[in-house]
Amino acid sequence: MFKELNPLLHSELRLGIMSILISVEEADFVYIREKTGATAGNISVQIDKLSEAGYIEVSKGFLGKRTRTVCKITEKGVNAFEEYVEALKSYLDIKGL
Amino acid sequence: MNEEASLELISQMIRNTRRKLEDGNGISFLVWGYTTFVISLAVYFSIKATGDYHYNFLWFLTPVLGSIGMSIFKRNKTKHGGHAMNFIDRTIRNIWMVIGIAAFLTSVGASFVRFPILSVMLLLLGIGTALTGLTIKFKLVVISGFIGMLSCVVPFFINGYEQILVFGVICLIMMVIPGHILNYQGRRKNV
Repeated sequence: MFKELNPLLHSELRLGIMSILISVEEADFVYIREKTGATAGNISVQIDKLSEAGYIEVSKGFLGKRTRTVCKITEKGVNAFEEYVEALKSYLDIKGL
Repeated sequence: MNEEASLELISQMIRNTRRKLEDGNGISFLVWGYTTFVISLAVYFSIKATGDYHYNFLWFLTPVLGSIGMSIFKRNKTKHGGHAMNFIDRTIRNIWMVIGIAAFLTSVGASFVRFPILSVMLLLLGIGTALTGLTIKFKLVVISGFIGMLSCVVPFFINGYEQILVFGVICLIMMVIPGHILNYQGRRKNV
């Protein structure tokens, strides 16, 4: 039986951001932008959505004179990501992939 | 976005992140290795030229110059590629923080009490190098670390200030050579 795919994660950019954050302890905005290739504005919107859902923690600081935004995945985010991957597997199993 | 595309995106992002973190692993070895070598040359030639052992205080420039070099490298890296830290990065940072503090405290102690400081330093640097090698699973770095530890007996066989010169050369072999090889391998993986 199909498990429902979390709509918050089933978006290309949000899933990309979560995939980066699942494999590191923390990553800053520049790193996420470089890895995803998305625009700063778009990333900012998606980070806000993930943060509001409690999937990531966002902290702002300074690096020299420039502001620096650092993101970390939360336990809730890890659980949501794992559930999403499990749901994906159920789709792929049924399709025979 | 379909299910296959989701899965491909996840694995691609994780793969890219791993590659990115491997890049530049050798820089810290190069910065600290070259800094220690240059300072040891400066101490050796200053003492040889003047006979004044107070030039030993030049050793305290090592953490200053090394930290400046590391912060320049980190700033450039962060500016262009952003910053990310995983468990391995944090472990290596903590290993060298402990080694650095131990080395500094030992050096301060050596200003008051005479003991074979260069041997202790080689032992500490060797331990740090071997632990780093084991953490990043890179045999050459592990071997370099153990060679460094073993070489802590070398200064006992050398008389006078030539010990300083030998210490610098051992640091060069223990840290700079693995640093260049690590960087070369990192670059090759990213091609």
